Amino acid sequence: MSPQRTDLTAEAEKQDWPDLYRQAREATEYAQLLSILRKRKRLLKAGQRWEFSRSVRLAMLGGATTELLEEPLELCLESRGVCCQLHRSDYNTFAQEMLDPSSATARFRPEVAVVVSTPFNIPTWPQAGDSLLRVREQAHEVCSYWLGLCAKLHDHTGCEILLNNFHPLPVRPLGNLGAKTPWDANNFLRRVNRELGDQAPPYVHLNDVEYLSAQHGVSQWFDPRFWFHAKQPVSFACLLPYVHNTACIIGGLVGRTAKCLVVDLDNTLWGGVVGDDGPEGIVIGEGDPIGEAFKAFQEYLLQLKQRGVLLAVCSKNDDANARTPFDQRPEMVLRLKDFVAFHANWRTKPENLREIAAQLNIGTDALVFVDDNPVERDQVRQSLPEVQVIELTEDPADYVRLLDHAGLFEIASFTNEDADRTRQYHENQLREKSSAAVTDYPAYLATLRQQAVVRPFEPAFLDRITQLINKSNQFNLTTLRMTRSQVEERMQSPASLTAYVRLVDRFGDNGLISVFCGRKEGEELWIDEWLMSCRVLQRGVEQLLCNYVVDKASLMGIATLRGVYIPTAKNRMVQDHYRGLGFTWVHEEPDGTAHWRLDVADYRPFSVQIHLVEEY
Amino acid sequence: MDTSVIWERLTIICRDLFEDDEIVLREETSARDVEGWDSLSHIQLMVAVEKEFDIRFHTAELTGLANVGQLVALIARRMGPSATKA
Repeated sequence: MSPQRTDLTAEAEKQDWPDLYRQAREATEYAQLLSILRKRKRLLKAGQRWEFSRSVRLAMLGGATTELLEEPLELCLESRGVCCQLHRSDYNTFAQEMLDPSSATARFRPEVAVVVSTPFNIPTWPQAGDSLLRVREQAHEVCSYWLGLCAKLHDHTGCEILLNNFHPLPVRPLGNLGAKTPWDANNFLRRVNRELGDQAPPYVHLNDVEYLSAQHGVSQWFDPRFWFHAKQPVSFACLLPYVHNTACIIGGLVGRTAKCLVVDLDNTLWGGVVGDDGPEGIVIGEGDPIGEAFKAFQEYLLQLKQRGVLLAVCSKNDDANARTPFDQRPEMVLRLKDFVAFHANWRTKPENLREIAAQLNIGTDALVFVDDNPVERDQVRQSLPEVQVIELTEDPADYVRLLDHAGLFEIASFTNEDADRTRQYHENQLREKSSAAVTDYPAYLATLRQQAVVRPFEPAFLDRITQLINKSNQFNLTTLRMTRSQVEERMQSPASLTAYVRLVDRFGDNGLISVFCGRKEGEELWIDEWLMSCRVLQRGVEQLLCNYVVDKASLMGIATLRGVYIPTAKNRMVQDHYRGLGFTWVHEEPDGTAHWRLDVADYRPFSVQIHLVEEY
Repeated sequence: MDTSVIWERLTIICRDLFEDDEIVLREETSARDVEGWDSLSHIQLMVAVEKEFDIRFHTAELTGLANVGQLVALIARRMGPSATKA
């Protein structure tokens, strides 16, 4: 074989991984999964490796057999850009493993633990005739048992924990009476599940098996034959949905959550083609089954928006035509203000998607694309394989389910920034318009009337700080991801210097937009985290934060700040961050990692157009 | 009764599952004759067979069969007389 030929083969094989992972993301059946896993094994055997942006140490703990879940879970995570190093504990040893600080699981030091529990692992059940009061106590005890185990494991390792809640039992010895009888097993499980939801601390993430089993049907979910034979926690018919759900949660924990949903208009948001049919001719709203299906889809998108997903339009249309239904059809649930970008033109969808991502300052891999036209979907898949494309059917009544079950918007917590995100992007657009009109930038900044709060990490903001640490890619010096527990550790450590920045201006509240985290070693402060939301670039936030950090550092007896820039595919914009702040270049490692230093004694504070306040 | 269709489809499943295109199934073939046929992959095999032939095995049958001949006979029985005529 000639050398060129080898190169060509290698080139072809490079394409194999994206294809394989796309198939994995779109697989719906266990058999498909097995065949993809076999292909993966062949590629690995042939020495093919794929580079992942994130890896995670994952411990599997089970009151059931976890072996058959592992490879599928690895595959699902890899298809989301996360590779994992996996540790398995023996069948049904979860309690010892979680309690014992020197267990094999604890020594593995997992970042994430997946606890595969089933109703068979419930230690005590109510007895026939137990009172409501007694059953409530027992539900509380069961919940304390599980959360107690989680607390121990968390104390020993600081890991995030995925815990199943419980699927209902497929049978009802008490028949319908069970629904109003406290000691009935299913009634008890419902109580335990509710209690788990109410009591779970931030580091426990419920794997909502109760919902999944309802979605697929509990008789379908649990196959007693495979439990009796091999202690399989979930039937093979439902193994993929369980694994997929688990991977979605872990993906959310490590920041692999999509940020923006881009939708087409004609036959995606409404029935018909507005350019041909006119705004009065399109089908939307009550009175027509198809119109109701599109309305239901719009209602679902509105719910996504309310929980922090950005919505954008990308449609092959005349811009003015495309806007008319939003203004002229009262049945439309979505309004123009619900979208942060509106691209109606005749250029290609991949071009527009790139522009939308650039406009919102996010990566194209944070986009989800919904379009009824299979040709457009295919074109996007071809030119932007990192964009998540939802495979729709021709029936608009399926849209909501297909988008929802893709599980692309999983988040570990809900913060104020999530609730307000669309408004913040709109305010930002106003700021940009306003800045376009001025030529004197400092004068413009003064007109913004900016106020900032800069403070060390505080419990109330841990969720948002963790979210930002795991989401920011561009203005991020080290791209060092941390779990909430690790952030909490930094908050409490006396050797830490931590800070967050919240910023408000005359257009509105930008929320918590910058995070700093340094660690004192002798007289030096090593900067492990310095990141900022790109929404507030060139507003003076970096300088303000630098002033703050140097001030606090000198109070801690620190003589030198040590800054590190670790290049990634996305953070070029900050390669000169430290130079701009007056740091001195020290050296560069072979991988491009650059080291900088700043002597605290030589620092002259920057003057900034931001008013520092205790609270706004 | 002609079970050749079952033999064919079962061979495809096994070749796929055990990643060996050379596998030839005989009446007396059993797990120890095929590399990679262990207790876990056996369960995967039975799940794949159930799906392929749209049948359901009893709990005892999932592990109680001695060889492929018995498996084919069981599949034929479960599918009923009409299925093997094709």
